[in-house]
Amino acid sequence: MNLNTKATAQNTYDAIVVGSGISGGWAAKELTEKGLKVLMLERGRNIEHIKDYTTAMKKPWEFEHRGRLTEAQKETHPVQKRDYPYQEYNESFWVNDLECPYTEVKRFDWYRGFHVGGKSLMWGRQSYRLSDLNFEENAKDGHGVDWPIRYKDIAPWYDYAEKFIGVSGENENYPHFPDGHFLPPMQMNCVEKSVKERIEKKYNRSRILTMGRTANLTVAHGGRGSCQYRNLCSRGCPFGAYFSTQSSTLPAAVATGNLTLRPFSLVNEIIYDKETQKAKGVRIIDAETMEHIEYFAKIVFVNGSTLGSTFLLLNSTSAEHPNGLGNGSGELGHNLMDHHFRCGASGQAEGFDDKYTYGKRANGIYVPRYRNVGNDKRDYVRGFGYQGGASRSGWHNDIAELAFGGDFKDLISTPGIWSMGLGGFGETLPHHENRVYIDKNKKDKWGQPVLAIDCEFKDNEAKMRVDMMNDAAEMLEASGIKNVKTYDNGSVPGMAIHEMGTARMGHDPKTSVLNKWNQMHEVKNVFVTDGSCMPSAACQNPSLTYMALTARAADFAVSELKKGNL
Amino acid sequence: MDRREAVKSVAFLIGGALSATTIATLFDSCNEPGKSGVLFTDNHGKLVTELADIIIPTTAKSPGAKAANVGPFITMMVKDCYPDDAQKAFVKGLDDLEASAKKDFGKSFLEISVKEREQLVTKVRDQTVAAQKEENDKIAEAEKLEQQTKGARPEKEKAGNPMAFKEGPKKAPQFFAIARDLTMLGFFTSEIGATKAYEFVEIPGRYDGCVDLKPGQRVWA
Repeated sequence: MNLNTKATAQNTYDAIVVGSGISGGWAAKELTEKGLKVLMLERGRNIEHIKDYTTAMKKPWEFEHRGRLTEAQKETHPVQKRDYPYQEYNESFWVNDLECPYTEVKRFDWYRGFHVGGKSLMWGRQSYRLSDLNFEENAKDGHGVDWPIRYKDIAPWYDYAEKFIGVSGENENYPHFPDGHFLPPMQMNCVEKSVKERIEKKYNRSRILTMGRTANLTVAHGGRGSCQYRNLCSRGCPFGAYFSTQSSTLPAAVATGNLTLRPFSLVNEIIYDKETQKAKGVRIIDAETMEHIEYFAKIVFVNGSTLGSTFLLLNSTSAEHPNGLGNGSGELGHNLMDHHFRCGASGQAEGFDDKYTYGKRANGIYVPRYRNVGNDKRDYVRGFGYQGGASRSGWHNDIAELAFGGDFKDLISTPGIWSMGLGGFGETLPHHENRVYIDKNKKDKWGQPVLAIDCEFKDNEAKMRVDMMNDAAEMLEASGIKNVKTYDNGSVPGMAIHEMGTARMGHDPKTSVLNKWNQMHEVKNVFVTDGSCMPSAACQNPSLTYMALTARAADFAVSELKKGNL
Repeated sequence: MDRREAVKSVAFLIGGALSATTIATLFDSCNEPGKSGVLFTDNHGKLVTELADIIIPTTAKSPGAKAANVGPFITMMVKDCYPDDAQKAFVKGLDDLEASAKKDFGKSFLEISVKEREQLVTKVRDQTVAAQKEENDKIAEAEKLEQQTKGARPEKEKAGNPMAFKEGPKKAPQFFAIARDLTMLGFFTSEIGATKAYEFVEIPGRYDGCVDLKPGQRVWA
């Protein structure tokens, strides 16, 4: 082989981690702590903890447009602007859509951030374990393929992840809602407490309302500061009070002395070696110089976000893997899921006019899934949970339409109505035809072909939304909430930013891409541990599960490496 | 690489993905017409400042929009953050306000009393409420008609169809609604509005979910 051996040696590591977001940061931490020399490749720029959170300490009046988008920003961010996350407050954390186009066969909102830390900087931080209800459901109702693991396999890794990142919340001893290792929960306000009490009484704790379990620290933890209740998390936290790569896993990986982090390194291909039938490394495009460079390692962890990782695998073709790396099953790119949401009810709470709150809580309440559990049988499969909360605004009931003037100003400067809302997050099913594939008719800024996304929600989700709406109204009314209004604002795939499933785990190499260790069935030294590995979506926020699966896979990978199996 | 060059090279890389109109729009936005071009005259600027101070005036409890310098904020926002049709509607609304001041009081809006300004603004407000109601009624009527001609919608489209994402029909930009929205945004997020009308605590440090409302309590900024 015609290789410059010196260059190869310089570009060789024990492990390569593709991506630096939630799961990539975890992979880097675990592998470096186990003694491996790790190269972590990130396609975007570096963001240094605290120093580069340039808007974190800005006051409201220090934002020129007070949070709103300019027409120029809307032109360059036609996808990111579709929903609330892209705002002036953290606009530099979101991609310029014109640089990285994709093809929407059907509408799919793809939210992306290209920088060290990825979406761990902007995530919602809600952290829930999956349970055996979730792990068994594919096998029971026949949708998708069976999860190759059960709760007992992942439980110790949930413990491990929660203990390290710090999750605040309350143990509830409620079926299919596993308890964990929590820091003290944040407080409910008086309206939420009242609603909790009345719901749990009416449904005899067959439905519960608990404080959101969130990766925000309620007490100092692991050298990081506790939450200061500013509710400005998505700008980056100068106190390190929520989990991000920067606040948590990256410092741990750096401390080992075993990590090399290379920003502006867009991994374009995993290089397959037909002699060993393994990956021998990756080819990157330097995003600044456009130079192509190869790096080599014994194992590769793919953590480029669900669709980013899937693109990379589909784009890694060879004579042995003509349809994408490890895609003998033909399932790579298929079974795309997200959660469906933007559906529920809200109303006004009366009788709390003499109460208010202090501080801004970056968290809400949670109602775990109760539908299609036990003897409950609906006209759809799976279920949903609710997120929500109560708050008191400056709005008052007796304000005329388009009111103005001094009395109006003084009135809305005083605390007004209390409102309480519940919004459902529903599970979606893995459908083979909901898929992504490479579209060679377009190129991105770096000369790569793009993804085409063809995904839609179907009847099961539609039927579930009727319950999501009506149950919310029923619970609020049962809690004494007045003027309850239901809503269904529609929800297209991608909007929940919980895309997953396009390189699923499974028992059978004929129907899945990864085995129970997140290891590719067909390429044993490649591990995929981001959202693409999920055989089902459950209805819980998924990131904690990616962390636990990543730590578990890293443990397995290193033990296999030591045994000489990789 | 300057911004114009950057846009060009992106447009090139995307290949036929962008229409000529889109590329033209991109180049236009590079020129930032709002910032260098003339959208508002000096007189418009003064009108906006006075109008904002009618919407959010100084009271016994706190200073108003003029003190918080909301006028220049509004014109900047209309230039930067609104599409052409809204910009035109806004400028026309200012011209109409000035014309009605001259018609009703024989003087510029800048020269009439606060009471007289309030009368004019009330009139514009009432017209805006009526126009919005008329538009909403028309939309509702059109939707009803569509349902009658197309027949009843299938059950799954009535409730819960997740893919029936509602963009909402495009509505005509209303001068007063924009002016009021930007006055409130500009005022309550200004240093004066946030600290003197609302109460601003930069680092609360804790969350108390249930505190007794104290007399004179203001909304947290």
